Amino acid sequence: MKTEEAAQRARTPAHIRAVGLSKSYVQRAPFSHKKFAIDALLDVQLEVSPATLTALVGESGSGKSTLARCLAMLEKPDCGEIWFEGKEISRSGSWELAWLRPKIQMIHQDSAGALNPRFTAAQVIAEPLEIQRRESGPKLRSRVCELMEEVGLPANWADRRPLELSGGQRQRLAIARAIALKPAFLILDESLSGLDLSTQAQILNLLLDLQKAHSLTYLLISHDLSLVEQVADFVAVMHQGRMVEHGAGQDIFGSPRHAHTRELLGSVRLVESAFRAAQAGGQQ
Amino acid sequence: MNYLERRVIHGVLLLAGVSVLCFAFGVMAPGDFFDEMKLNPQISPATVAALRSQYGIDQPLPLRYGRWVESVLRGEWGYSFAYNCPVRSLLMVRAGNTLLLTTLATLLAWLIALPLGVWTANRRGRWDDRLGLAGTTLLLSVPELVIALVLLYLAVRTHALPAGGMVSVGFGGLGKQAQLIDLASHLVIPAATLVLASLPLLVRHIRASVLEVLQAPFVQAARAHGIGGARLLFRYVLPAAANPLSSLLGLSIGGLLSGSLLVEVITGWPGMGPLLLEASLARDVHVVIGAVMASTFFMIAGSMVADVLLVVLDPRVRLGST
Amino acid sequence: MRNKPRIVAALILLLSLHAAILLAKFVTPYDPAVQNRDFPFAPPTRIHFVDSRGHVHLRPFVYQWKARPDTFNEYDEARDKSYPVRFFIQGPEHKLAGLLRSHVHLFGVEDPAQIFLAGTDAYGRDQFSRILYGGQVSLAAGLLATVISLFLGLVVGCISGFYGRWIDDSAMRLVELFLVLPWLYFLLAVRSFLPLHISPTQTFFLLVTVIGTIGWARPARLVRGIVLSAKSRNYVIASRGFGASDYYMLRRHVLPHTYGILLTQAALLVPQYVVAEVTLSFLGLGLSEPAPSWGNLLANLQQYNVLVSYWWMFAPALALVIVSLGYLQMANAVQELQSGSI
Repeated sequence: MKTEEAAQRARTPAHIRAVGLSKSYVQRAPFSHKKFAIDALLDVQLEVSPATLTALVGESGSGKSTLARCLAMLEKPDCGEIWFEGKEISRSGSWELAWLRPKIQMIHQDSAGALNPRFTAAQVIAEPLEIQRRESGPKLRSRVCELMEEVGLPANWADRRPLELSGGQRQRLAIARAIALKPAFLILDESLSGLDLSTQAQILNLLLDLQKAHSLTYLLISHDLSLVEQVADFVAVMHQGRMVEHGAGQDIFGSPRHAHTRELLGSVRLVESAFRAAQAGGQQ
Repeated sequence: MNYLERRVIHGVLLLAGVSVLCFAFGVMAPGDFFDEMKLNPQISPATVAALRSQYGIDQPLPLRYGRWVESVLRGEWGYSFAYNCPVRSLLMVRAGNTLLLTTLATLLAWLIALPLGVWTANRRGRWDDRLGLAGTTLLLSVPELVIALVLLYLAVRTHALPAGGMVSVGFGGLGKQAQLIDLASHLVIPAATLVLASLPLLVRHIRASVLEVLQAPFVQAARAHGIGGARLLFRYVLPAAANPLSSLLGLSIGGLLSGSLLVEVITGWPGMGPLLLEASLARDVHVVIGAVMASTFFMIAGSMVADVLLVVLDPRVRLGST
Repeated sequence: MRNKPRIVAALILLLSLHAAILLAKFVTPYDPAVQNRDFPFAPPTRIHFVDSRGHVHLRPFVYQWKARPDTFNEYDEARDKSYPVRFFIQGPEHKLAGLLRSHVHLFGVEDPAQIFLAGTDAYGRDQFSRILYGGQVSLAAGLLATVISLFLGLVVGCISGFYGRWIDDSAMRLVELFLVLPWLYFLLAVRSFLPLHISPTQTFFLLVTVIGTIGWARPARLVRGIVLSAKSRNYVIASRGFGASDYYMLRRHVLPHTYGILLTQAALLVPQYVVAEVTLSFLGLGLSEPAPSWGNLLANLQQYNVLVSYWWMFAPALALVIVSLGYLQMANAVQELQSGSI
């Protein structure tokens, strides 16, 4: 992505924006009634422009997943605001949610756990359409076939169950299910982890194709900084529940300002160089 | 608050819950003890009404419950309409007899089940394990009612044992030793019934938990170190199997108590069973509630004993103040 | 599976027993209420293949009982005339399944002889017929009470597991309460609060309701555990993301996981509840004469002379044991299937 282009995108109004988001969990200590709170999010700001890919990075436990669940409205933040397409949505009632839910979708990391093992592929894809009562009967069936084709699954696999599919195929199935409701904003929660490199590349290409075709906005949560460096227009770095850095990809990777970001990048570079050295050593 | 205190408070709360439950059911039901009197033409309706108000039956539930709690605190445990005396005096003797029977049966059942369970677990898949499994399956399908009847039948046919009651006629005239023998011979049938009825489940659970421990890596490692026989069993296997077994002890006491009610009625053992049955038929509400409370108390106390035993046996369970 | 033949055997046993009890009107030779004052406590009729002259007959035959002179309840076979056992014989009219008028009974002998497979009781009523008819009551009670328990357990378990928080807390306290109750004591107590003298039908439904209501706690706890683990699965969360209602998520994603547990629990609860009904009737708190139930058939044995002299009065106990055995085998099988499938 070119720098001017990204800068121009940054000037356009945000697609989704989080303002001062905080969330804490009350935990009960084992074998006692003492309670204590864990701050998962602390005054988090985030802005995602339309039709871009923003990567959310940070170590595990830094609050990435909580932020994702809040944006997907699977959890309510304690305080703060979430703006989506010009509306504040964090305190939506069930009526507004019915309208909102289809527009914001999430694809989980663990595709095996995110698909009901008792369902067939067709049932999996049809589920959101059934819930939203978009289609029914033969129309539903043809829409399911369409979606399977779009994500590169043969239509005659409709009766296979998730556990009969490979990891990549399951992820395709999950993607087909997520785009069935024609969302505008997709949260990819570690969706590319746990796949081998070539599958990862294929799924990534599929996601980028879909982005072009439907002008989707992506929020990619990932551990894999080399992947992020490749694809992200913007990068947001989280550390211990706080958003420590947020900006265009090149800026962050080129001149990280926050100490934690440097640390994060440094460790990756270290591993990478060690890996290359090992590879080089192996080839000799 | 330490562990034991918390358990005791929990137990008391449970007992309170049971009493509320009993009262709730009792009041939802139509009719009461004095309904039968109304049918009697010799007793005037005014007398019945007077009796009802005297015993407080015409009052609303919370008030009646309050009066009952008050009498529990005074140590009376309510008032029996049929016997015209406080429930406590009725219940104490009967509860003691039930306790004698169930404690004896629990001890015997565990004494038999423990070696059986350990043995069959050690001999997994061989002929004696299979025999044991078939035996427990068969015994599991025979209800206490049937076991008691069959044993009673055998006793009566062979004249080897007394057929019912707790002591023979003329018990008071016997010497101390003869009294003990007489009591013991009366105990054989009810106790044997309870032991036979609780044995299959005990053996199965003991076998299963010992088997699980036997397959655990640390036991395999101990074996590889050349530890075997009794040392392996008592130092490694049984302590590790103690946790599931102690909760089984609590459960088995519950099963024995319910079973003992029936056995007592059939064999004429003067425990809480016959008292509860009589009171049920006469609708003597406070006696009924007293018997339920006493049996629940035994059950809670039993599972507490089991927990304390567990603490003694299993070093992993800590009694911290956390 | 290792135990396949055993499971098939248990299944066949259970099915044939249920069929015999369901079709009692056809299977039994006599009406359970008909009294034969000449034959109180007659022992089971002996089935013969060899007659007094040493001839072997392919069709079995019986002799009629004849009271021994100057005795009460002692019988000899009247060997002067034999009566062959006939199948699909004409007998008293009955309505099969409440619809089909029929005279045909599975087996019987011609008048004036009678066939008592399990002897007779004090009124000379055929015990075999009474056992099968009584089985209708006892089994129906067990099955209905099981349905009530499982339904309550499913509802409470689902709500408590799915919604959590204070609903879960209070429901689980209630479960603890019901689990700590010695069930028979409580059953007796609750029964004692209900009116004693009511019609048999009312008694039956009261009994079933009480038995079923007391046993809901264990299924509820098990269902809750499963719901709890199912609702945290990602596909349930995803479903919420599509805007699914709670009802949809429960129905499509959570409930299917509970079926296995419900089946196992059913197989364990039915025999337990049959025994509960039998126990209550045995103690005189359930169905009373003349309606037959296994409990009040066994209650005959509470009389000392019956217990000592008439061993065939134990026959209902055999039926009870067979039912328990069959259901327990089924429970084992279902459990094994489940642990195998995971």
